[in-house]
Amino acid sequence: MIPLENFLILSAILFATGLYGVLARRSAILILMSVELMLAAVSINFIAFASYLDGDAFSGLIFALFVITVAAAEVGLALGIVLRLFRERQTAYVDSADSMKW
Amino acid sequence: MEQVWILPAIPFATFLVLGLFNRFIPRRGDGLAVLGMAAVVVLVGVVLADFQNFFVDGIFTPGGEHAYAEEWVDIGQGFFLIEFSTYVDSVTMVMLPVVSFVALMVLVYSIGYMKGEQRYGWYFAALSLFVSAMLLLVISGNLLQLYLAWEGVGLASYLLIGFYWERQAAAEAAKKAFITTRIGDVGLLIGIILLWRVTGSFDIQEIIHAAQEGVFDQTYLTVAMIFLFAGAAGKSAQFPFHVWLPDAMEGPTPVSALIHAATMVVAGVYLVARMLPVYDEVLIARDVVLYTGLLTALMAATMGLVATDIKRVLAFSTVSQLGFMFVALGVGALTAAMFHLFTHAFFKSLLFLGSGSVIHATDEQEVQELGGLRKKMPVTTITFTIGSLALAGLPFLAGFWSKDEILHDLQKHGPMWAYVVLAATAALTAIYTTRVVLLTFFGKPKNQQAYDRAHESPPIMTVPLMILAALAIVAGFVTYTGVGEALGFVGGIGEVVYLPAEGAHRFELDWAFAAGASATAVAGVVIGVAYWWGDAKRAVAARNWAPELHQLFARRYYIDELYQAVINNVVMGASRVVAWFDKKVVNETGVDGATQFIGFLGYRLKFLQTGRIPNYALGMALGVAALAVVAIGTT
Repeated sequence: MIPLENFLILSAILFATGLYGVLARRSAILILMSVELMLAAVSINFIAFASYLDGDAFSGLIFALFVITVAAAEVGLALGIVLRLFRERQTAYVDSADSMKW
Repeated sequence: MEQVWILPAIPFATFLVLGLFNRFIPRRGDGLAVLGMAAVVVLVGVVLADFQNFFVDGIFTPGGEHAYAEEWVDIGQGFFLIEFSTYVDSVTMVMLPVVSFVALMVLVYSIGYMKGEQRYGWYFAALSLFVSAMLLLVISGNLLQLYLAWEGVGLASYLLIGFYWERQAAAEAAKKAFITTRIGDVGLLIGIILLWRVTGSFDIQEIIHAAQEGVFDQTYLTVAMIFLFAGAAGKSAQFPFHVWLPDAMEGPTPVSALIHAATMVVAGVYLVARMLPVYDEVLIARDVVLYTGLLTALMAATMGLVATDIKRVLAFSTVSQLGFMFVALGVGALTAAMFHLFTHAFFKSLLFLGSGSVIHATDEQEVQELGGLRKKMPVTTITFTIGSLALAGLPFLAGFWSKDEILHDLQKHGPMWAYVVLAATAALTAIYTTRVVLLTFFGKPKNQQAYDRAHESPPIMTVPLMILAALAIVAGFVTYTGVGEALGFVGGIGEVVYLPAEGAHRFELDWAFAAGASATAVAGVVIGVAYWWGDAKRAVAARNWAPELHQLFARRYYIDELYQAVINNVVMGASRVVAWFDKKVVNETGVDGATQFIGFLGYRLKFLQTGRIPNYALGMALGVAALAVVAIGTT
């Protein structure tokens, strides 16, 4: 059996990669993809803990399913916004959308 | 006896109805005010009859009912207990008839005097408010309730002195009266708090018992009682607070008769009389009362000697007579003080109403402009003269008995020199009252126009004068046991009103002493006649002989000037400092400074809001990281 630590390390690597992507990328599409990576890392954590702590309980698995659902909805919404942004500014770079400031 | 609260409730209801709706009531509701007051007089009679039941074998034995208390507000399980309580004893029983009866006379008289006046309805409303507060004051069983009523009469007095507020002098006099008495009232409040701190109670009887059992430290109690006396001195216009009363004469004359002669100004006397058993425990505080009264009596009498305004003469006389009452209290003579209060109320309100009749007829109140009115106003002349002679203490009139009693007690219990001073003051009283009578009603008219205007007042004004004149003659006889019994009391005033510690005493006329007192009064009248009869040649000569002295009296010992100077320099100077502090420190630094600082901060910090999503994302990530560090650090 693969030890829990392996899953946690995988999850941490995925999460850190996602976070780096969110902070470093300028393209809105790439940021969205990075967010998906972070969500996947969280899902892995949930499933790993769920099966290690109590094999018969489903709550962790159900959570993972929820995360997938929410992520799908989020992407649907976010892509719509990105599309609007592209139509307005002719670019999908997030730093072009900075009019909401002082 | 528990229902005694109805007494102040009736005039208060009148006040509310008249104050709000007087323009919808026929005749602006004066009839309603008089009717309400008549009802109060009748009810006072009922209370008086009930009160007799508390005498067993001629000794006052309070039952359970005469003191009545209803819990009102209780803070901290009896730590700070405010009660509505009434307490009726013989001191109250002197006050109740005086207040209600004089108020009735004054209200009736006012119908004639205030006729055609603007704010006629409001006048009666304010007068009702006054009577309500005054009745509440005299039936109060605890000091806090007494203080409430005390401020109530002060408010009514302020409203009525400033009744003609269009006149600058009236507005200023009202303010002066209010502020001067308020300075004393602060003393009263401090005194009440000091007494409460030790006993934990506002109840007057409990405080008296505590004092008699020696719960208090002597020095502490002395200080507390002197503070209490400051309140009394403020209300009763005793030195150094006497300055407001002469100015208070700016109000309508019936108001002067009721508030500034017969009732409100004796509230101070009432308070000291009520607390007299406590004063008996601390003789230093009692001596303060004695000497303040003595000084005020003498000073006010000399000022009355030279005042030219008829109402001001009477005002100085009131101050002086209140001094007499405090002297009596200062030697522990409760009976004499309350007796003088009783008789003084009748003849002094008579004098004020008489002077009101003169002013009403002539529109003139300077005695130098009057004179010779005797032929045109016979009823006013006769009643005013009776009042004056009663005030002078001529034998067998009301003032004679009570003043005699005071002098007698002072001679027995006080220092000899004090007795001499007070006897001289009594002679001065006779002189200045004679002077004012002669200058107003006798001699030749000095102002022909005023004389031509003069006419006798209508019956609605003269009938109260006649009733009060009758009382000014006979009121003093209540000192006799037989007279008291005939009225249904257990005896004369000395057998009803007395300190429990001293016991009742039957009045015996000390012939030799009375002869001396009468001789003083008669001598005063004779001197007055000799100096002011006809053209007042001797009086003019006397003034020219010592013009500085005359000036000193006429300028009221320069006390008003002194106070004005203190206000101008000290108070205004301090006010300027406070105003500067308020403007610069509180307003500009504190209030404006704080807003400016926040505005500045906002201006600086708003640039953090860049609108760029990566910046926000970085902030969030750092925040979560920081929270994680904190969470790990704490577990």
